[in-house]
Amino acid sequence: MVKKTSDDIKNTLKGVDVVEISYTERGYHLAIEAQKENIVSIVEFFDKKSFYLADLCCVDYVDYLELVYFFNNHKEPCRVKVTLKVEPDKPSAPTISHIYTIAHWYEREIHEFFGVYFEGHPHLVYLFLHDAIDIYPLRKKQVSVTEDDKKLLSSFKPEEFEDGFFINLGPQHPSTHGVLRVVVKMDGEYIVSAEPVLGYLHRMHEKMAENRSYVQFLPNPPRMDYLGALNFNLGHVTTIEKLCNIEVPERAQYIRTITAELNRISSHLLWVGAFVADLGGLTPFLYTFQDREHILDILEGITGSRLTYCYFRFGGLYNDVDDAFIDATKQFIKHLRGRFGMYEKLVTKNVIFINRVKGIGVLEPGITTKYGCSGPVIRSTGIPFDIRKVEPYAAYDKIDFEIPVGATGDNMDRYMIRIREMEISLNIIEKAIEKLPSGPFKAEKVPKKLKPPKGDVYHAVESPRGELGVYIVSDESDTPYRMKWRVPSYSNLMTFPYLAEGELISDAIATLGSYDLVIPEIDR
Amino acid sequence: MGKGGFYLETKNPIIKFAIAEKFLNLARANSIWPMTFGLACCAIEMMSAAMARFDIARFGAEVFRPSPRQADLMIINGTVTKKMAPTVVTLFEQMPSPKWVIAMGNCAISGGPFVFEGQYNLIEGVDKILPVDVYVPGCPPRPEALLEALMKLEEKITGTRRFPVPEKQW
Repeated sequence: MVKKTSDDIKNTLKGVDVVEISYTERGYHLAIEAQKENIVSIVEFFDKKSFYLADLCCVDYVDYLELVYFFNNHKEPCRVKVTLKVEPDKPSAPTISHIYTIAHWYEREIHEFFGVYFEGHPHLVYLFLHDAIDIYPLRKKQVSVTEDDKKLLSSFKPEEFEDGFFINLGPQHPSTHGVLRVVVKMDGEYIVSAEPVLGYLHRMHEKMAENRSYVQFLPNPPRMDYLGALNFNLGHVTTIEKLCNIEVPERAQYIRTITAELNRISSHLLWVGAFVADLGGLTPFLYTFQDREHILDILEGITGSRLTYCYFRFGGLYNDVDDAFIDATKQFIKHLRGRFGMYEKLVTKNVIFINRVKGIGVLEPGITTKYGCSGPVIRSTGIPFDIRKVEPYAAYDKIDFEIPVGATGDNMDRYMIRIREMEISLNIIEKAIEKLPSGPFKAEKVPKKLKPPKGDVYHAVESPRGELGVYIVSDESDTPYRMKWRVPSYSNLMTFPYLAEGELISDAIATLGSYDLVIPEIDR
Repeated sequence: MGKGGFYLETKNPIIKFAIAEKFLNLARANSIWPMTFGLACCAIEMMSAAMARFDIARFGAEVFRPSPRQADLMIINGTVTKKMAPTVVTLFEQMPSPKWVIAMGNCAISGGPFVFEGQYNLIEGVDKILPVDVYVPGCPPRPEALLEALMKLEEKITGTRRFPVPEKQW
């Protein structure tokens, strides 16, 4: 796949240099340096080959700004990094938002954090930041916001709209699972258009990463996604292990797999409760929380915290697991398997529930590349894309498991996939406990002050919501030069304006609930 | 708008009936209605406190109201950003008096782990924009800590503590 893509690029795009990169060291296969003249044709090429835009970010090298585009394929891993240099004074670049819809948001994000102007972008207003901001926060040198950009600060300006009205869904709304705000343009009960407004919980994680050493940043990722805390923790440490070339002992790999899967189950359990509560059924909420408390007890025993675990360290774990953990996990597997029948009776076969979710919010498989969705959202359309399978990390390559896929891509499919995933996670945990080797749980000789070699690395893991990618640029100092988080809910939520259009508002709430949004993760 | 940017009903009523007031306060303390208002990680612990194991209903505070007009307790459970702050103040203003605020978690107390030099998007402590009655430290605090905060609030409202103080273990 990599060879074929490389040849294809050389044949179709004249004058473009493709460099093959060591995947084990850098986390991507191909690198392309683009110019302003040919960036659009390069992106069009990837769109034709049905690649998806995994990430788009910007790095400030003081002398120049570099836009970094990451493409990947759903069928086989072929990560391509395309870079584009832009000048630091009045930076501008051609937009690619007409090719990839998700680029709408990525470009708006770069515009407000770096001041890069995207020519031809239809709606380049601020997405995250508050109205009084006067600098571009992620620039290395302080650059004040230009007068032209200050006009773009407040994104919501209700225009003339005679036959309908606006509804402000959030930021305080029980069904948005946090502080998301969606400005919905209504015509009676039907939605004309919906526009999410982000940034109500923007906690500056990426700026913080540049101010703190690698070890000091360890507690942050769990607070980004508090429901899948261990998965974010894992994504962070595995990326830095890749960058510094640290070998992790096998026992640690297995324990990582077990705990991350436990965390995935607890996240999905909370989602099932919250999703059904969104649709008006409060009872399952109580049941799922009861099951979830068992997992919290088990994880608290080894990690020491209930919610925002910071358990993984560079090169291993914080401490080893004991027999009590193994016994409790085995007991929990048995317990939860017995509960699935009850959930089926209570929720899955409930007529009201079925009528509320079946055939609502249908996502066609063809458009998923435009949005770069991942996780259960893309698997519901029938594409078996799971990072655990295609780019295995921890001990997932040593354990056999299946990937559940849906058929229609509606809300029911997304629900069923998460239920199935919980069952599969239980199988993974069971197999991992069987195979759990003895030995050290921590790599020896990991320096306390990490100083990774110069270069960049991209690494992705599968969080409960989808592909979580971490892109780190290192400049040989003990703090990252730039750390970009590609978060799954961000690209999943982007499909909401598309799915909500023309729907009833009550159905749109069901669709919004089915994404399993965690807002701090979107806002970072 | 008051001095601190929000409107607070501080005027005492002209006629005050001591016994009736005492009775009302007892009723208020034992049926606090919190607002359904989740900000960040601490919101999950607040939800846990409301669920079967910790069961906030034992203390009469299980009626979470999505509308601020029906609530009398605001639990600030998470980071308040500069973009969110006007909304938080508006919600507080919409609550009918008497009303109370619990600052849950380090972010709500002081900005917590997200304070650093050059930060551009954080309110460092929610007490800069709202009058806070009880602070609950932790990142995030356990549900038991929230229950204890509720008891402290009850103590503040009625002047006496109904539930015994748990024994110190450390």
